[in-house]
Amino acid sequence: MRRLNVVTAVAGGLGLALPGWAIARHFLEENDFGPDQVTVITMVCWAIGFMTGIGAFNGPIGWLRGHDLTPEDELFLAGKDQGIRRYFRFTTDHKVVGIQYLALTMVLFGVGGTMAMLIRTNLISPNSNFLSPQEYNAIVGLHGLIMIIATIIMVTGPFGNFIMPMMIGARDMAFPRLNALSLWLIVAAVPVLLSATFLGGIPTGWVGYAPLADQAPPGMDAYMMTIIIFAISSAVAGANITTTVLTMRARGMTWNRTPIFVYGVVASVGLAIPAFPMFMASQVMLGLDRTMGGRFYVASGGGSPWLYANLFWLMGHPEVYVILIPAMAALMELTAVFSRKPLFSFNTAVLGIVGISVLSVMVWAHHMYASGWAPNLNGAFMLTTEMISIPTGMLFLVILGTIWRGRIWTRLPMMATYAMLWNFIIGGITGLYLSDVPLDYALHGSMFVTAHFHYTLMGAGLTGAIGALAFWFPKMTGRMLNERFGFISFWLVQIGFNVTFIGMFAVGLAGQPRRVFTYNNLLATGNFVSTIGAYAIGIGMLFLMYAVISSWRHGSLAPSNPWGSKTLEWTVPNPIPLENFTVLPVVTSDAYGYGEEPFEPIEGPTRRDELEPAHVGSAADEQSTEGARP
Amino acid sequence: MTQTEPVTAQIRMWWQRVEIKRIVWIWLGITVVLAIFALIVPARVMGSPASPTMRAVESTMTIFSVAAAPVMALVLSVAVYSLTGWRSRGSEPPIGDGPPIRGSGRVTATWMVVSSVLTMFVLIWGLGEMQSLSAEASAPNAMVVNVTGQQWVWTFSYPQNGNVESDQLYLPVNRPVVFHVTSKDVIHSFWVVEMGIKVDANPGEVTKTGVVPDTLGTFVVRCAELCGLLHAHMETQAHVVSSTDFAAWITAQESRAS
Repeated sequence: MRRLNVVTAVAGGLGLALPGWAIARHFLEENDFGPDQVTVITMVCWAIGFMTGIGAFNGPIGWLRGHDLTPEDELFLAGKDQGIRRYFRFTTDHKVVGIQYLALTMVLFGVGGTMAMLIRTNLISPNSNFLSPQEYNAIVGLHGLIMIIATIIMVTGPFGNFIMPMMIGARDMAFPRLNALSLWLIVAAVPVLLSATFLGGIPTGWVGYAPLADQAPPGMDAYMMTIIIFAISSAVAGANITTTVLTMRARGMTWNRTPIFVYGVVASVGLAIPAFPMFMASQVMLGLDRTMGGRFYVASGGGSPWLYANLFWLMGHPEVYVILIPAMAALMELTAVFSRKPLFSFNTAVLGIVGISVLSVMVWAHHMYASGWAPNLNGAFMLTTEMISIPTGMLFLVILGTIWRGRIWTRLPMMATYAMLWNFIIGGITGLYLSDVPLDYALHGSMFVTAHFHYTLMGAGLTGAIGALAFWFPKMTGRMLNERFGFISFWLVQIGFNVTFIGMFAVGLAGQPRRVFTYNNLLATGNFVSTIGAYAIGIGMLFLMYAVISSWRHGSLAPSNPWGSKTLEWTVPNPIPLENFTVLPVVTSDAYGYGEEPFEPIEGPTRRDELEPAHVGSAADEQSTEGARP
Repeated sequence: MTQTEPVTAQIRMWWQRVEIKRIVWIWLGITVVLAIFALIVPARVMGSPASPTMRAVESTMTIFSVAAAPVMALVLSVAVYSLTGWRSRGSEPPIGDGPPIRGSGRVTATWMVVSSVLTMFVLIWGLGEMQSLSAEASAPNAMVVNVTGQQWVWTFSYPQNGNVESDQLYLPVNRPVVFHVTSKDVIHSFWVVEMGIKVDANPGEVTKTGVVPDTLGTFVVRCAELCGLLHAHMETQAHVVSSTDFAAWITAQESRAS
């Protein structure tokens, strides 16, 4: 058990996948569905081999044999005294899992972003022929799916795992091994997804609409298997995070003293729990269609493409809030800190999050206004969709109210809040246009839609995640993020982003459909502008990546609470001990009491020689910890 | 409370405070700019309409944009003012905390009422528009055109005119037309860009949409749902012609077929 790491996992995966492939090929080659059957069997073998190789099944197998883990085993699993190597193992410590998620997210953004650059390069002029039509279609689908997975895990993965348990005063997650399992399942799914590049890509867009998916090359099997593995992972993570929050909050942390970010994370995984099984079911049926001649989505066999579309969007709309809510919640958390004010109306914030979550499962068919599935229901779906703007407006109210008359400290995290306000109001208003049925008939399937959801998922979601990263970086790495490069990146990304997608709004209004490799000459200017903006985003993201990597290695050491925040994670010393708290904290008030007690100066970022001995953040209650600070 | 002025110490009414006045001015300024933008730009970018449907779409676009202008301006004006009036400059931490405002029932209630009213307006507007457009398109004297999508061409046939078939769409001006749309293979989406109509072409199903073309000219018919390799080229023309020209075209097509 002690020798297992990512190398043995890859060896295990290949060790099972290669024989699986050879045997499947030998027996199934002749058959009509041969290539797809062979691909699916190989991928299942890879996933099982990989998870065995990383040691995911050691616990259950041990129990079957009548063993349980000794305390030493558990300490080993938690990564005690293993330095950098624990990041390449099936490690149960929530902080290690959080860092692993962060690295994974950055890798996925790197790959997906590179694909975005290829897409925009191809669209720089109407007939650039930079990519062939096959390559273009394949990359559009891959870009979409990779980015969706990256954005789903970008907040709840790194910060939900690393920060959230400390925020509620817990020593780890409720189920540390499930935590590691959820991470390594995604790691196992990533090569499966990327293998699509060599199997003909995902030429269906990220939605994978059937029956186009029924005729797609084996790259579609990679899509299918990725979603099935990812759905298992998100169910495991969702059960783990909700249990942790329900049962492991510190003594005295009642629901109205629980920080808003915790609500955001719970709402996100809570929505994912019902959403992803829909997607998984749709993919299992697609798998039966593709490998056994099922006819779930094929009209000539009695199936219906609307079945797929419904299942997909039953996942697809809650999913955008799975992405958005935790990012917004992180921004609310840090806005209180950088405005030096309590959150404006905590109850409104909670109500907004709950309202969005409840409504988001009732709006899916607004993606299908023009599909012809149920034209008589369009009015009803228009109602539910437009109602979402009320709880969303409540989140705006909370943030604006928190900024109101604050002492605005415009460090990098706070800049993300301002960028989100700008981007999300545009994303929200354009969403309102699309919710209107007659307007949607004109705009559906055009670049206008693409620009709209990039404004919400990237302009608000990803910006929120970057704000969260800048905010919690000192706690996660023990070092300050290089703000000079952070700001360069911020301005390049935000200006580039707006240039790209305002150009895209224009060409969409003028009639350019989504997912086309060429377009009318009249739309050349808008597309050219979009492409230039996209390059600015790309360069800006490289600056951010450089800032993160260099600060992680050489940044100035961070004090335990550089921003003067009142949430519990900042009471833990740097570097964080294995189980966070030596004595569990007791909470007597919420974490937003800014201006309600005598003022204390905040420790500024400190250099190594000025750093004082770390104090143990385990005082009897939060207030006295604050008071103990010099 | 040492560093912050107590909230109760405000003697002037809230609307008399200097910061409120400044925010209102910024809000008005941004609203005017955005409203002018909303009146001119979106409809112009969408191009000249070729049907009452598209006219309705463009006016909805303009009206929603104008209605959104004060909302967006509100968010921006508070944000802009906070970056100047309430900012704690420099990289040093702010001196002192802000006033501990934990919410305001009146503000929250006003916000909820205003956002609900705006939502109601948008909803009722949309429902009314849907109603009038569906009445228009289901006129009794409508001409039926069967539209078939397949990778990657459109076929139009005219069941009331001897089942004439064509790969370009011909329509007589000012006569309601109902499209019966289906597909031979995967999902396509039948989109006449300048007429503002769109409906998916599903294999095994017939979906309907209707329009009254009221402008002579040549327009674009596109596929709006990714349908495979050459989706980008799945495009043809819609010719709106006078009824005599249309009759002549039908006769020519019939004689060519026979």
